[in-house]
Amino acid sequence: MDEEPTRYNAKAIVIGIGDYHTGAEPMTSIGLGSCIGLIIHDTKLGIGGMAHIMLPESGGKRDRLGKYADTAIEILMKELSKKGCSSKTLQAKLVGGAQMFANFSGNLSIGERNVEAVRAKLKENRIPIKGEDVGGTKGRTVMYCPEKGFTISIRRADGTCSEI
Amino acid sequence: MALLTPTQMDALGELGNIGASHAATTLSQMLMGQIEMTVPLVEVVDLADIYKHVTDETAALSIFQMQGELDQGGYVIFIMPLSSAIRMTNTMLGMGDEERELNEMDESALTEVGNIMVSAFLDATAELLGVVMLPSPPVLVIDMAHAAVEQLLAEVAFNVNEVVFFHTKLSCDQYAINGDLVMLPEMNTLSQILELMDNLLKKHAS
Repeated sequence: MDEEPTRYNAKAIVIGIGDYHTGAEPMTSIGLGSCIGLIIHDTKLGIGGMAHIMLPESGGKRDRLGKYADTAIEILMKELSKKGCSSKTLQAKLVGGAQMFANFSGNLSIGERNVEAVRAKLKENRIPIKGEDVGGTKGRTVMYCPEKGFTISIRRADGTCSEI
Repeated sequence: MALLTPTQMDALGELGNIGASHAATTLSQMLMGQIEMTVPLVEVVDLADIYKHVTDETAALSIFQMQGELDQGGYVIFIMPLSSAIRMTNTMLGMGDEERELNEMDESALTEVGNIMVSAFLDATAELLGVVMLPSPPVLVIDMAHAAVEQLLAEVAFNVNEVVFFHTKLSCDQYAINGDLVMLPEMNTLSQILELMDNLLKKHAS
């Protein structure tokens, strides 16, 4: 696999579903559907973190912190503050939260609920949202290089790319 | 979730093997060509590693919910790369143009082929287990496979961090068509299936 040229940066750390990472290394979350790729960036230190959030509420579960909106934001802030970030210079961007197809069970869109939960939790923690590419019905792959500043690259299934 | 024992993994693999063989046979009949099938893999996959099994490459996915006696039993998904999907329609309808966009005809072919294959898959496995399993009407998604699967996981894995992932690759060299058949059972269904299989094994042993 490593020798094949991949379309996303092979050196980037892949944040799988329910995972998170903080630091200065390039990070990516591939194929975001109803999940949210949340990126919190420290404008001063040039480092940040990414979480691949799957569900809006942990309901007290602590087994997989990156999986839920509330625990993911909490752990990203905690890890970033350990790395010397002040909560005053943190900013957030979010990507994903699509509804890929109408649910079989007829439940409310999980993507939409994820977006709302992340927004609410960020507001609660006074982290400003500097950019969003959320909703719709299409998947997204997101790429973040903390060292190059707070620019997030997004690629969609039809091959179109954009930045926020 | 308790991890599966090797015996249970084998039993599930065998169950999937029977289902997938039937699905492959129907595909072979529809294409009038030979279909190769890999030995089905049954794996317990952590959510964070799903991307290693399902990529963000754009594909056509026919998604079915398993219904019947096993209520909301999880999902069976037939994933096909777009180029294969176009070649499949071409083969079935005797057309030649490959350099075209996916159109309505491809979509209805994908839905129908998926329907027939997944019905065969579920029929065969259900017959072995002695239950009725039916596919829901299919949902067709043309997008990044990982993105579509995420939405299913949000339902199947809301309170677990690992899923049982059943996976077979089907290919038809003659027409350069390939696809992946994936089953993602819901946890309750999985334990029901395992129970049914245990009974079956016991019956044969006695």
